[in-house]
Amino acid sequence: MSTKPEPLKPLRTWSHLAGRRRRPSEYEIVSTNLMYDAKNAESPFELGPNIPLSKWFKKYRHGSPLTGRDWEEFRDPAELTYRAYNILQDGQETYIEGLFDQHNELRYDAGLDTAWVDVLPRLYTPARYAFHTVQMASHYLVQIVPSSTIRNCATYQAADALRCVSHIAYRTAEVKKTYPDSGCGTAECAAWENDAAWQGFRALMEKVLIAYDWGESFVALNLVAKPAMDEALLRQLAATGRRQGDSLLGLIADTEYRDVQRSRTWSAALVRFAIERPENLAVVRGWIEKWLPVAEQAIDAYCRALPDSPEATTTATQAVHDFLRSLDLN
Amino acid sequence: MALLDRAEWYDIARDTNWTPKYVTEDALFPEEQSGTLGLPLEVWESYDEPYKVTYREYVRTQREKDAGVYSVKAALQRANFLDQAEPGWVSILKLHYGAFATLEAMASSAESRMARFGKAGGLRNMATFGSLDENRHGQIQLYFPHEHVHRSRQFDWATKSMHTNEWAVVAARHLFDDIMAGRDAVGVALMLTFAFETGFSNLQFLGLAADAAQAGDISFSNLASSIQTDEARHAQIGGPAVKILIANGKKAEAQRLVDIAIWRAWTLFATVTGPSMDYYTPLDRREKSFKEFMQEWVFGQFERTLLDIGLERPWYWDTMLADLDTRHHGMHAGIWTFHKSVWWDVPPGISRAERAWLEEKYPGWEETWGAHFWDPIIARFLKDGPVDTVLPSMVQLCNMAQVPITGTPGWAPGKTGRPLQDFPLEHEGRLYHFGSEVDRWIFQQDPDRYKDHLSVADRMVAGMIQPPTLEGLLDYFSLKEGEQGEDALKHSWLEEYRQDQAQAA
Ligand SMILES: [Fe+2]
Ligand SMILES: [Fe+2]
Repeated sequence: MSTKPEPLKPLRTWSHLAGRRRRPSEYEIVSTNLMYDAKNAESPFELGPNIPLSKWFKKYRHGSPLTGRDWEEFRDPAELTYRAYNILQDGQETYIEGLFDQHNELRYDAGLDTAWVDVLPRLYTPARYAFHTVQMASHYLVQIVPSSTIRNCATYQAADALRCVSHIAYRTAEVKKTYPDSGCGTAECAAWENDAAWQGFRALMEKVLIAYDWGESFVALNLVAKPAMDEALLRQLAATGRRQGDSLLGLIADTEYRDVQRSRTWSAALVRFAIERPENLAVVRGWIEKWLPVAEQAIDAYCRALPDSPEATTTATQAVHDFLRSLDLN
Repeated sequence: MALLDRAEWYDIARDTNWTPKYVTEDALFPEEQSGTLGLPLEVWESYDEPYKVTYREYVRTQREKDAGVYSVKAALQRANFLDQAEPGWVSILKLHYGAFATLEAMASSAESRMARFGKAGGLRNMATFGSLDENRHGQIQLYFPHEHVHRSRQFDWATKSMHTNEWAVVAARHLFDDIMAGRDAVGVALMLTFAFETGFSNLQFLGLAADAAQAGDISFSNLASSIQTDEARHAQIGGPAVKILIANGKKAEAQRLVDIAIWRAWTLFATVTGPSMDYYTPLDRREKSFKEFMQEWVFGQFERTLLDIGLERPWYWDTMLADLDTRHHGMHAGIWTFHKSVWWDVPPGISRAERAWLEEKYPGWEETWGAHFWDPIIARFLKDGPVDTVLPSMVQLCNMAQVPITGTPGWAPGKTGRPLQDFPLEHEGRLYHFGSEVDRWIFQQDPDRYKDHLSVADRMVAGMIQPPTLEGLLDYFSLKEGEQGEDALKHSWLEEYRQDQAQAA
């Protein structure tokens, strides 16, 4: 006769967290161990290994050279949960709303320099296309990354990009009210598609969007392309704006840059986590070497067009390099 | 007013399509991810989401919603509702969280597929909120049950279930991978948001919320109805996509995707929601029968939505209507019988009073399910004492729904229900079994999509489940003692019948 096994006893937390020494945080309780399709390399979905998306995930997730870690062990340093995200961003948006409200009250746009108003539809308002590509690329990460803890970070990053798109759309419509013939609200698509200032970022992002390997997609977007764009659009454009008398642009960009810092913090943590397997170091570096020149060209094409900002390219490029250096990839 | 109205700038924020130049449109929107059936970017420009929300509005509204739901939970936590809750209600919670929490988190990936590979700016923005919504639903439905893990190991299944091959999990995963995780963006829009969320998620979330309120579980009632407010918004992603397909000569394709999703949703809901509503929910707390909820929401409201948008009733509508009298009774009978194979304790739900209710809601229940399924079990239990029953080894699983093929016991022409019947199909030398002509039809729409999958029964036959015994099977299901379901009333319900028997003697 076989002896009956002891019935499983209730635990104080999820069984997958029960072996740890400390109490799990709310973040861990709601964020970990949720990506069931990442477990089965041969057949990610219950339908079998040969449906089109099974092949896609086998190739671009399981087949990635960035590999060899238990990705569910990755933790977002900010331990951001959904409800915390909304509290955080509702606060930031209340601040933005206050900015919009006060500046409008003071007829801010009427006081803008006319030469600067000409710059806006060329170098500022088309940025909604640029940030929208970041929104799209971040959503690709949401579905392709190999763990629910990485997925969460990408989900909030995608939403942050929509936040930037929304601010730009708002300002586009508002400036247009004072300057109906400025091109704000009409000239953006043509600028994004034809203006030399945008072709670097457009080329960069179109290519990043089709970098389907999950690891490459993460490195290209989060370590290179997005930092390049954030430095050019949220830092250098904002600095130029301040010198041209448009301080609102910089105030908006400063709150958006807080989202950027959150993105860089988890991205750096994910890199550190990945290169705990030494073979991954060369993989990450290889992708950075591949994408950095494309991003540098994009920065230069854009920053060169900023009026009266001869140091913009260097400053933005330096900032991207500083971020990459902070990752300790040598 | 110093702030612009939403309408003054909303369109600009969704005007984000551009013509790719450095890569091709097909590379940017590959068919296996986009599923646009060859319809190019320009065609999608007319996409107009009916429910408009901005980022600013979203984060405020959602913060407020969460503040409400979490504070009610915190206020009621001390009351320990679950300590006095009826067993059936506790079973519903275990079933609900185990079946849905992880899948909700997974739904955020599917929403993100639309937000990346959808070809309309408005669709991509709405799916951005949809992805956040599902992130919420995953998290909040883990936060709530976590409070209960100390009560029973069965609550652990809120995070554990989807990592197992438990049969109901395989069924749920097969469905949701088909309409969601393993579908392209247009497929997700039509099958998940339009068909499943518009048509069915009401049932689980509003129907159960109503029952929960009746049962006194204010915390869960609040949670479920709050989730449904998000569903009601992002469910509207699919409608405009359907319109675009119809306007561009793709009505047949749209109809087919929607028809597949509705039937598949039906078979899942009949497995989990039907038994919850008609057998687990304490009798005096039942708001409506499962059939009444289905008639109101699916055959009423959702049918109108289908027709209004320009689609037809699914060809199997009458079959599905008839199935309302059979399928979930069969699922319940099977699950109760093989209760060891699920992660919740299963209430039989067949006291005299409950049977009277079932007969009222499902005329003919007594002379079929009552007389031919439950009465023989009761007689046997009264004679020999209750035993743990298991499903007979020859139970046939449907190769589409992944649940047992059922019929109405004691069925005869003229009675409600339908006979037990397999709808077989031979394809490329393999014999498949289906529980209905509709399941078989779904297979035939895209055999390559389904043909490689092995049902749990197929795996047993193929020797993949070792040892091929009950213990081996439960082990394959990752169900240990302490997790395996029991009769939720520990057979105390037999007492009523014993007294009846004694009186009759
Ligand atoms: Fe949901
Ligand atoms: Fe949903």
